[in-house]
Amino acid sequence: MDYDVLIIGAGIAGMEAALSLGNMGFKVLLVEKEASIGGKMILLSKVFPTLDCASCISTPKMADVAHHPNVTLQVYSEVEGVDPLADGSFRAKVVKKPTYVNADLCTGCGLCETACTVAVADEFNAGLVARRAAHIPFPQAIPKKAVIDRRGFSPCHHSCPAGVRAHGYISLVRSGRYEEAFNLHMEDAPLVGSLARACYAPCEEECTRGSVDGTIPIRGIKRFMSDYYYERHPEPEYGVPEKKNGRKVAVIGAGPAGLTAAYQLARKGYTVKIFEEAPEAGGMLRIGIPSYRLPKDVVDRDIANVTALGVEIETRHEISSIEPLKEQGYDAVFLAAGAVEARTMGVEGEDLEGVMDCMEFLREVNIGRAPDLEGKTVMVVGGGNSAIDPARVAIRLGAEKVLIQYRRSRAEMPAHSWEIEGAEEEGVELQLLRVPVRFIGKDGKLEAAECISMKLGEPDESGRRSPVPQKGSEEIVPVDLVVLAIGLKPSTSPFAHELETNKNGTLKVNSHTLETSDPRVFAGGDVVTGPSMIAQAIGQGNRAAHHIDMYLRGEDLSLSRFDLPIPTVEKKDVLMRAKSISFRKPTDKKELEPSERCRSFSEIEQPFTKEEIRYGAGRCLDCAVCSECEACIRACPVEDCIRFDMLPERREVTVGSVIVATGYDLFNVEKKPQYGSGRLKNVITGMQMDRLLAPTRPFNTVLRPSDGKEPDNIAYVLCTGSRDQTADNTLCSRVCCMYSIKQAQLIMGALPLADITIYYIDIRAFGKGYDEFYEQAKAMGVYFVKGKVAKVEEAEDGNMTVFYEDMANSGGLKTATHDLVVLSVGLLPNREALGLFPDQMLKADDFHYVAEVEEDIDPGRTSIAGVFVAGTASGARDIPDSILHAGAAAAQAAAYIENLGVRS
Amino acid sequence: MSDAGERYLGEVLRDEMIMKDSILAVLEEGPKTVPEIALALNASEYDTMLWVMGMRRYEMVIEVGGAKGDGYCQYRAIKAH
Repeated sequence: MDYDVLIIGAGIAGMEAALSLGNMGFKVLLVEKEASIGGKMILLSKVFPTLDCASCISTPKMADVAHHPNVTLQVYSEVEGVDPLADGSFRAKVVKKPTYVNADLCTGCGLCETACTVAVADEFNAGLVARRAAHIPFPQAIPKKAVIDRRGFSPCHHSCPAGVRAHGYISLVRSGRYEEAFNLHMEDAPLVGSLARACYAPCEEECTRGSVDGTIPIRGIKRFMSDYYYERHPEPEYGVPEKKNGRKVAVIGAGPAGLTAAYQLARKGYTVKIFEEAPEAGGMLRIGIPSYRLPKDVVDRDIANVTALGVEIETRHEISSIEPLKEQGYDAVFLAAGAVEARTMGVEGEDLEGVMDCMEFLREVNIGRAPDLEGKTVMVVGGGNSAIDPARVAIRLGAEKVLIQYRRSRAEMPAHSWEIEGAEEEGVELQLLRVPVRFIGKDGKLEAAECISMKLGEPDESGRRSPVPQKGSEEIVPVDLVVLAIGLKPSTSPFAHELETNKNGTLKVNSHTLETSDPRVFAGGDVVTGPSMIAQAIGQGNRAAHHIDMYLRGEDLSLSRFDLPIPTVEKKDVLMRAKSISFRKPTDKKELEPSERCRSFSEIEQPFTKEEIRYGAGRCLDCAVCSECEACIRACPVEDCIRFDMLPERREVTVGSVIVATGYDLFNVEKKPQYGSGRLKNVITGMQMDRLLAPTRPFNTVLRPSDGKEPDNIAYVLCTGSRDQTADNTLCSRVCCMYSIKQAQLIMGALPLADITIYYIDIRAFGKGYDEFYEQAKAMGVYFVKGKVAKVEEAEDGNMTVFYEDMANSGGLKTATHDLVVLSVGLLPNREALGLFPDQMLKADDFHYVAEVEEDIDPGRTSIAGVFVAGTASGARDIPDSILHAGAAAAQAAAYIENLGVRS
Repeated sequence: MSDAGERYLGEVLRDEMIMKDSILAVLEEGPKTVPEIALALNASEYDTMLWVMGMRRYEMVIEVGGAKGDGYCQYRAIKAH
């Protein structure tokens, strides 16, 4: 037996039961789903009828619970199920939700919440004010530890092959913290400026806002923050890490994968050298992407982020074997040679001068050896982005006519639609279902291409319909230059004798760790994936660096935590949480006009202004709540206190008895729309007023939410959602009359000039001193109107008009004007506990509270032997009655365990 | 989706992160009430109330005494921010 008693819920009843049992010597496990114990009572202003401070009563009890030697407290945890065992004891499954804060290290200083960039409604203040994703529930919380409200990965983060935390930098940019945003990106990937221009932004495709009124301009935000940072920091702010670990890693290839791996390894203290065959580093960024999309000074600045760490890049150095690197003392090798070998068509005339592959063509242009195309005809063959780029480049080089021939239809073109449209706007002619079958030349020089039309046939293995040549459609087309863009091959042939390869020429690796057949060699990027996106190559670089580090530290790679099993939040859940989203026009892309852009290699895409970008970032829905911006980590004075790699912790415990103390729910006022809550700003609930009156109140005093004015004429509407068949709750909630009278008295103290009217059906003041308390309120000047309120509406002057039936005086329908309306909401059963036991063993009463089988003579006993109920889980009760009831449940549990004869 | 006039609470609260700099800039002129800040921002008083109270909670602004004769409190920026 792990514990004598499991108590579910640490509100006032759960705490009381825990203390009673603990004082009797029983070992208690007290499980609370919130981050603090105290339940709803700790949130109240005062208690009736004594007007004692609720906090002053609660906090000593909370402290006693936390420090009691026989009580084990487990907060932010939920009981997933309880199974009765044959011997009369129980087995319970308890899951501790990750707080992402090490409770042993957290000092409760609150610096994390001050730094946090995500604001959400504070449930502990009944939605009257914002809290942060990183938060301490309330000032008297026990334990007073921060919790990070993180629901998983945001879709933008999850969809990024590079693992860049887009939500994080968006929320930092939204807060105007541009340099922090840039630095956060640098944690994930160093090629910020390049990604900001050349990434195809799968994050934007997955953005939840995209399914509402248009995606967040995530790449535009990245562009803004990288431009902002680079303008202010022409050179990186950091240098070579002081601590080097003495290990050496060689990287083959200075493309996105190689640069990223080198960067991440150098940050960990490795000495890294990159070997690059080309004259300059950058790989595809340098040679494969035209400068109108990615200016080369941006690539240079991105690469400086890598070399500033001491990474050496040796260009014009071709590596054709791994073995010599091992002999040179490298402890590990990362092979990231890319995919720069072009596929050929295998047709006559491909070797003519004037027939080039797209990489060769783009490379020549990007290194300043552009061919003279003035007045010439250029034909590009292919349908991917690698065909669009040379076509648009040819336009800029003055070609008179630029054709793209593609053997399928537009629908099958792999190129992005916006790229195709951009090319067409610039004058590129698309010739679909057409392909050259031979190139014709004279004296070794290209003069024309013979082309044939195609027709789409049956789908091939890729699922696309196969092109079928149409005999008789051959045509000779005079051309000056042909650029073949029909695909690239991974550059793995030099290593095929040393490392295992796949049939398609890619290297065989463990897809999680990127280990090759040689334990000291890791591979990633296009040599593994085939031609892919920059972001994917960067992701491979990150993955390789992580596992090379593990390998060189002698760790077991099968225990890697690179891919943490953290779920991605569902878009539908985000939209449901948001309830409604008001339309906000998406930020339009800004591009040079086609007539202007096709005359030069000037960047097509224009940057957003600061105002545009903050507006754009402000449209973010904070899908995962926590954005992972890490502002909390930077603010936290304790190292390693906040960790985003925490996972839920599940355990099973055996217990002798169970006490259900799960409390109550409050009536949802949205079910009484005629009272205007949520629609009318100056209609609030009783719990909201209690928060406004509490010492830890969300406003500086009692103020109207609509404009911050002190109210001077307040109405209370009793029986909101209780004793009301239309609200599906016929029960009296027992406490609403008294808490409303309590609040009225407190308001008269806080706002002596305010008028207070309580609309009631009948006042139920049945406890000791309750009626006196009611009479006292009347004597103080609280105005009681016996009348059922029909509806509340807003008048033109912003005041609230209350329509009510006057039941006591002259009768009839009347109206009254107030400047604040408080709905005294009723209590409802919390049905959570009923599902914890198998086969509906835990019975509910007719009102869905946990049933006490013999309520009158055997309080707390439920339908399951050994399971007891305490407090409002079994019916509406005030605080003194809840405490009494908890005492009864504790006594019942104690007797049960003694009879069971088994103690922990 | 609703029109821009009916904003869900979460949306308004989220905007505090965008608006806080503007609010602090407005308060550089001196203490102001919620309606005065709202007017300066061309924002709704309700939205502004939520932002100002959020900023008060995290010690970016603080009230200057109690409510004045018109029932409104003034708020000023806390210099550290």
